Amino acid sequence: MTAVTTLDTSTAVTSSRGPRGLLWVMLRLHRWALWFWLALVAVGAGALLWAYGPGADAAWSEYRTLHCDTNDPDLGCDNLGPAYNMYDTVVSIGAGILGLAPFLTAGWAGAALIGRELENGTAQLTWTQSVSPARWLAAKLAVPAALLTAGMLVLTLLHRLLWSTDGPLRAAMGSRSWYEGAAFEANGTLATSYALLGLAVGVLAGLLQRRALPALGLAVVVLALLTTVLGTVRPYLWPLETLTNKHEYPAYIGMVVDEGALTSTGARVSDPICVDDAKCLADHDIVGFYRDYHPSSHFWPLQLVETGIVLAVTALTVLIAFRLLNGRTGAAA
Amino acid sequence: MTETAIEAAALGKGFGRRRKQALDGCSFRLPAGSVCAVVGPNGAGKSTLLSLAAGLLRPTDGTITVLGAAPAAVRERLAYVAQDKPLHPQLTVADTLRYGRELNPGRWDDRTAERIVAEGDLEPDARIRSLSGGQRTRVALALALGKRPELLLLDEPMADLDPLARHQLMATLMADAAEHGTTVVMSSHVVAELDGACDHLLLLGAGRVRLAGPLDDLLAAHRLLTGRADASLDPHTVVESRTTGRQVTALVRPEGPLDESWQATAPTLEELVLAHLRAPETPALRLDEMREAAV
Repeated sequence: MTAVTTLDTSTAVTSSRGPRGLLWVMLRLHRWALWFWLALVAVGAGALLWAYGPGADAAWSEYRTLHCDTNDPDLGCDNLGPAYNMYDTVVSIGAGILGLAPFLTAGWAGAALIGRELENGTAQLTWTQSVSPARWLAAKLAVPAALLTAGMLVLTLLHRLLWSTDGPLRAAMGSRSWYEGAAFEANGTLATSYALLGLAVGVLAGLLQRRALPALGLAVVVLALLTTVLGTVRPYLWPLETLTNKHEYPAYIGMVVDEGALTSTGARVSDPICVDDAKCLADHDIVGFYRDYHPSSHFWPLQLVETGIVLAVTALTVLIAFRLLNGRTGAAA
Repeated sequence: MTETAIEAAALGKGFGRRRKQALDGCSFRLPAGSVCAVVGPNGAGKSTLLSLAAGLLRPTDGTITVLGAAPAAVRERLAYVAQDKPLHPQLTVADTLRYGRELNPGRWDDRTAERIVAEGDLEPDARIRSLSGGQRTRVALALALGKRPELLLLDEPMADLDPLARHQLMATLMADAAEHGTTVVMSSHVVAELDGACDHLLLLGAGRVRLAGPLDDLLAAHRLLTGRADASLDPHTVVESRTTGRQVTALVRPEGPLDESWQATAPTLEELVLAHLRAPETPALRLDEMREAAV
C-alpha cells in the first residue's frame, strides 16, 4: 500500500508542464546566458529593422534635401550627413552582433558551459545521475546550437532584407560592398556556421583546460586564428575571373584579388607605374593591365564553399571533444 | 550473500604523463548490502578508487566491476557524493532536487530527498551558494539518496559537519541504507566516525590494498599483546610493537597458539588502523576472498 502511495505522489509531482530532463537542466542552469542571447538577438533585430524602415527613410530624405541626387548638389554632399551616419552606425551594430556572436559563444562555451562545470565538479555530479558523459556533452552542444542557429538565422535574414533594399543608398554614399568581411558573413550562411564553430571550439577548449578562465582564453584565441586563416584563404575558394585591358586598368568591380601589368608575351609582371609615359611602358614591354576578381555572382559559391569548410572543422572539433571525454571517463554508454 | 557490489582486479590508475600511480594493483571484493569504510592516509588513493567505481575515471590497469557490470553501464543504480560536495551554486535547494528528479527518471524518490532537506531546516528557495558547508552536504546527500541507489559511494561525507549534524545525518544514512539494503562505501580519515557504522573495512596505503574484508574477521585476525620486553613474538606476524621500559605492547597476527605469558586483548578498529598506518611495511591481509572460498 505504501509503495503505491509513493508512486502516486512522485508521478503527481513529475507531471508538471514545461521542458523535461536534460533540456530542463540546460535551460535552468544557463538561464542568464539564454536571456542574454535573446536580448542580443532582440537588439540586433531591432537595429536592422529600424535601419530598414525609419533609418533608411531619414537618410534618403537628408540626401534629397541636400540635392545630392541632382546636378546641383549642396556642398554638404561631400560629407555624409548625420542621418546617414546614424543609419550606418545602426547597421554596423546589427552586422556587428552577427560578427561578434561566434566569439562570445566560444568564450561562454569554454568558460561557463564546460570549463566551470569541470572545475567545480558539477559535470561529474551530472554524470553520476542517470546521465552518461556522452549524453551530457550532446545536450551541452545541441541546446545552444539550436538557439544559436535560430537567432543567427533571424539576424541574417533581416540583414539580407536590409541589404536587398538599401543598394541605391549604399551606391550613393559609397559605403560597404558585398565582399567586405562583416557584410559578406552577415548576408549568408557564414555567420551562423561561425557561431557553431565558436560553440564547438569553446566546448573543446573547456574539455581540454577543465577550468573556466583558461578555457575562455584558449577558445577565443583559437577561434580568432581559425577565422583569420579562413578569411585569408576566402578569395581562393572559387575560381577567379580576370579582366584585361590595353593602356589602362580594367574597371574595379567586385572582390579584386590581384592586379598588375601584362607584357607582350602575356606574362604577368608587377606594375612599373609608368602612368602615361609611353617610353617607360615600351621599355618594360607593357602592353596591357589585368585584374583578377570575384564578381558579385560569386557570392553564393564563395559563401557555400567556406560554410562547408567551417562546418567540417566544427564537426571534426565535436568529434575530438566526444573522443576526449570518452577516453577520460571510460563511458561506453 | 554471493552477490558482489564492487570487485576490483589488479586495478590501477595513473595520472599525468609520468603515470604517477594513485592506485596500483588493487584487488578486493565487496559483497552487496555491506557498509564499507575506505580508510587510509591522505593521498592513499581513496578518492581515485571511488571515482573509478562511480565511472568518472577510466582505469589505466586492471578492471573494476560494479553491481556486476562496468561502472558506466550501471550509472542509474549508483550514487556518488564527491569530497567537495559539488552542486550548482546558482540553483535553489528546490531546483537542485528537481535536477535530481529530471535526471533520474523512474528512480527518483521525492519524499526521501525532501525529508533529508527538511530535517536540516533548509529553505527550499535558498540558493546553494548561500548555504554553509554542512547544509551543502545535506543537500548533496539528499540528491544521492533521492536517486534510490543500490550502491552509495561517499567520499569524506561528514568532513564539513558539526558533531550533532554528523551524528544525525549518519543515523539517517544508515537507517535508509538498512531499510533498502543499499551497499554503502564511505571513505574517511576520521576512523572514529566509522566505528559502529561499518561492517567491512578497506585500508589503502600508497595506492595499494593493506587490509580488506569483514571488519569482525579482520579484528579477530589481530591481537593486541602486552608482555615482557624480552619475550619472543615468533612465529606471529608483528604489525607494530612498542617497548616502554621492560614492557612491550604489540599488535600481531597470530600464526599459532599464543604463549600464555602474553596478555592478549582484541584491538579496536582505531588501534588496528593506526597500527597499520604507522607500519606501512606490514604485509597486506585480505580476508574478503577467503570467506568467499569458504562459502
